[in-house]
Amino acid sequence: MNDQTSVKLRLNNSELWGGLIGLALGGFVIWQGVKLKLGTINDPGSGYVLFYTGILMCVFAVSIVISAIAEGGPTLASRWDNVSWSKPLLVIVCLTAFSFALEPLGFLLSSIPLMLLLLRLIDPVRWTLAVPIAALVPLGMWWVLKRLLLIQLPSGLFGIG
Amino acid sequence: MDTLLNVAHGFGVALLPINLLYCFIGVFIGTLVGVLPGIGPISAMSLLLPVTLSGTPESGIIMMAGIYYGSMYGGSTTSILVNIPGEAASVVTCIDGHQMAKQGRAGPALGISAFGSFIAGTFSLVALMLVAPRLANIAIAFGPAEYFSLMVLGLIVLTFLTQGSMPKALLMACIGVVLGLIGLDSITAQPRLTFGRMELIDGIGLVPVVMGLFGVAEVLLNTEQAIKRDIINARITQLLPNKADWQASAGPVARGTLLGFLLGILPGGGAVVASFASYALEKRLSKTPERFGHGAIEGVAGPESANNAAAGGAFIPLMTLGIPPNVVMALLLGAFVIHGLQPGPLLITQNPGLFWGIVASMYIGNVMLLILNLPLIGMWVQLLKLPYNILFPLIILFTILGVYCSSNNVFDVYVMIAFGIIGYFMRKLGFEPAPLVLAFVLGPMMENNLRKSLILSQGDLWTFVQRPISAACLALALMLLIAPLLPALRKKRELVALDEGA
Repeated sequence: MNDQTSVKLRLNNSELWGGLIGLALGGFVIWQGVKLKLGTINDPGSGYVLFYTGILMCVFAVSIVISAIAEGGPTLASRWDNVSWSKPLLVIVCLTAFSFALEPLGFLLSSIPLMLLLLRLIDPVRWTLAVPIAALVPLGMWWVLKRLLLIQLPSGLFGIG
Repeated sequence: MDTLLNVAHGFGVALLPINLLYCFIGVFIGTLVGVLPGIGPISAMSLLLPVTLSGTPESGIIMMAGIYYGSMYGGSTTSILVNIPGEAASVVTCIDGHQMAKQGRAGPALGISAFGSFIAGTFSLVALMLVAPRLANIAIAFGPAEYFSLMVLGLIVLTFLTQGSMPKALLMACIGVVLGLIGLDSITAQPRLTFGRMELIDGIGLVPVVMGLFGVAEVLLNTEQAIKRDIINARITQLLPNKADWQASAGPVARGTLLGFLLGILPGGGAVVASFASYALEKRLSKTPERFGHGAIEGVAGPESANNAAAGGAFIPLMTLGIPPNVVMALLLGAFVIHGLQPGPLLITQNPGLFWGIVASMYIGNVMLLILNLPLIGMWVQLLKLPYNILFPLIILFTILGVYCSSNNVFDVYVMIAFGIIGYFMRKLGFEPAPLVLAFVLGPMMENNLRKSLILSQGDLWTFVQRPISAACLALALMLLIAPLLPALRKKRELVALDEGA
């Protein structure tokens, strides 16, 4: 087996994984379509379009997998070559934490720390600027929405906001 | 005569102070997002979709339309001065526009881009006025089979023009259809893919999906590396192109306008394809093609006219058939639906004030843009210096608030964050989100029309090929599906492939 073949058949191929995820999703959609009842061609049921869309998804996913095996593809790691993967990861962690905190803490108590973290993590803004922006922008938005537009933002368990 | 009366009626609506204000806000924000790399018209329109709720349908839709064609104007400024396209339709303008700026001709480049855009925008509006009512009359005869086939064609055209492999784009379109079907079945009222969650009974909202895939994902991608800006700092003088510039640009502006308008009407097409096609056409027609890439004014005039004409043309399928030809128009459809309006063949007769008001507002908007883009160029240049490390957190906060305000529902914020993360990984793996979003909007309509045609024809699939319009759409879609398998056509597709999300 030469080097080129081993490159083509490697499992660490992002195209291959993309296709496999598509295949799994397609299978799930087919299953859901069958569960919802296909009906007949004269009177298609709720699962009719889902079922056939699932089949199409599987066809396209298999075509991606075949081309990934036949032609190879970039590795997963190479997709993040020459870029800082840690920054988007940190933003994702912040957003996930925010989504868990939004309902129990309310808009103000969750968005001020979110803003501060984003301002300091993406490309650090100096503290003297980051703190006022993080505090004033959510407060200003909250005031405009709540007082002027009468839109109720989540106030959380503490009823702040 | 009728058309003139209708236009007069439209101006009556568009010139109301509140509509003038919304039009100005729209074109101003459009220019702003066009100027700023990293946020495009899709993110801005999805962000402002909830705002349209606060006014009349006319005001909201006038503002949304203003953002779209305003961004086409603004995008050229960044391309010429910074060599970063403000939005996808201005990618081509970077090639010759920035070279002109480096040679000290930023003024004429910006000038011809603004004038070309104005001429093209005005032409496309006149054509919209003349074509739309006639097409709407024809569209009344469309049955479910025609609608289904036309939507299939729109999706296939978009997947054909999307960057990367076609199977990936088609897979994205299928996922979009599935996501669009979440919620109650419109015919049997059976819940589908709701997993017992009450929040999903009405389906997933367009706003959180689009804001996640285009707003949050775009910010995540932009945080990966510092955006380098090569801003032309020299003072910009003499914005008016000279006689030689006009002579060189007259043909490209005329051809770009016509080509852009025709490509804009096609489902799945739009401003990005139009600008690329116009550049290719001008280069082919030029007696000195070697000047292209080194500051040829034709390379700015043609594409800039084409993308503005396409922006106007794209309103035709939405207004007359109710079918959005691209993601931006899908968002506009969302704005119509929010106000309980259904664009389609009956819109012009049932809501003449709305249709003609929007058309007239676009005339006014084009004039406003000419005023905004030429004398205020210095202000836009200053804006390009806004630090992204402050801008990106603000965009995230605004998207969160925008999504929450559109439905007063925290669940939508979760959906947006989830789609933001999914969208980021999708883009990293080379899956473009544009086909997903268009299919998400068209999916329920496609399903409805497919099931209706099958019920009406008693399960006879030939109904789709026996009707001429439907057959023509399906034949064209099939040709586009087969095309990438042929090496010569595959090469052509790669040349025009576009990144709608940019």
